[in-house]
Amino acid sequence: MPQRPEEQSDEQLMDLLTGPKVEAALSALYDRHGSTVFRVGLKLLGDRSLAEELVQEVFLKVWRSSSTFDPSRSSFSTWLYRVTRNAALDLHRKRARKIRSMTDEDPQIETIRDSSLGPQETVEDSWLTWRVSKALEGLGAEHRQVIELAYFRGLSQREISRRTGLPLSTVKSRTYSALKRLREGLAGQQGLREAGRSGR
Amino acid sequence: MRCTEINPNLGAFVLGGLEPEEEVEVYQHLASCSRCRGELGELDGVIRALEAAPGPAEPPSYLKEEILSRVRAGERAEKAPSSTEELSYFGKEPHSTRGSRLKNLRFILPGVAAAAIVAVVALGIFFGSREEPPVATVQLIPLEENDPYWGVAELHPKPSGNQQVELKLNNLEEPGSDSFYEAWFTSGEKYISAGTFTTAGSGETDVWLNAPPETRSYPTLLITKQTATGDPAPSQEEILRGKVL
Repeated sequence: MPQRPEEQSDEQLMDLLTGPKVEAALSALYDRHGSTVFRVGLKLLGDRSLAEELVQEVFLKVWRSSSTFDPSRSSFSTWLYRVTRNAALDLHRKRARKIRSMTDEDPQIETIRDSSLGPQETVEDSWLTWRVSKALEGLGAEHRQVIELAYFRGLSQREISRRTGLPLSTVKSRTYSALKRLREGLAGQQGLREAGRSGR
Repeated sequence: MRCTEINPNLGAFVLGGLEPEEEVEVYQHLASCSRCRGELGELDGVIRALEAAPGPAEPPSYLKEEILSRVRAGERAEKAPSSTEELSYFGKEPHSTRGSRLKNLRFILPGVAAAAIVAVVALGIFFGSREEPPVATVQLIPLEENDPYWGVAELHPKPSGNQQVELKLNNLEEPGSDSFYEAWFTSGEKYISAGTFTTAGSGETDVWLNAPPETRSYPTLLITKQTATGDPAPSQEEILRGKVL
């Protein structure tokens, strides 16, 4: 019995993009990686509408350029990272051009251009951003929840305990093990890191 | 205290989520325990890596369908005569007709180009005067996970130093009589109000507020519900919160 798309590996789904199951395959890839591409885009580009544009560009590129993906050279995640990075750079340049044209009309806007990331900084930040994002997604829901509440929302352990209804001691031990697992997840991407560097 | 008692607190310690008296206990233990100091160093590395992490945002639900519909349209276009084939029509024309069409194009193209330039300049002036690029997007998350409302704030820098804050809020209920919502930039115990507003209930509410330059160094954006007779400080009724990344 053939596997359903959501049960297939990323690499198997890439094979399906040239056949009649293209929609189901792209849909499954989006479900797995769409949030990462969006979050990384939001982080790098700092703008929600640009991040949405990035997600569209990336998944259309995945569809159109599926034949350029070679699983013997890199994992799908590393390939997708490169597609995302290049698309983000294109959008970044597009935005920079728009700001430049505005600067010509109003020199005061120069300060805005100076405060935004340059293309090189965008590239350097993007790989770490991608890796951390993937490592966070690799955590279980319970561990991800305490990291989100403690780090991204800045809640104290007591506030997390009140909010989740968990005993304070459980929140503390869960926070500790969440950070340890995140460290393991990041260390486990050593090979991925090398692949990402060689792709620059 | 022993390592086994301190260890579970180390995660909260590096995240700054312990109570002051618990922090003192950890500091005292670390002063005499190199093993826990080593452990702390590793956890600190994770926190540094987290600085590169994107916040827990999700793309809008319609985005996937938009992509799939473009794929569907692309497939249809591939099955229909391609644009290359349509262009090759020129190649099939008799030489004289092709030549006269090219001559016509020489007259038409400068006019088209001029019209395009006028349109681009006009659009640039129209959009350029209305819209500046946001420097930061803040995901606003409700206090309770099951709360149906959520939002996004876009912080637009102004040449004057002020920040214009655009709040896009979804399903935030009406605050009720004698109540309103207020946006705050906070940093530790310090806070600066970015302004007050109300909503019409379900659906999307778009609000524009102005905040002074000092708010650029405040890392948290809070939305609270305030009462008309309350103190000029964030109330305990926190509705949404986000980190300015």
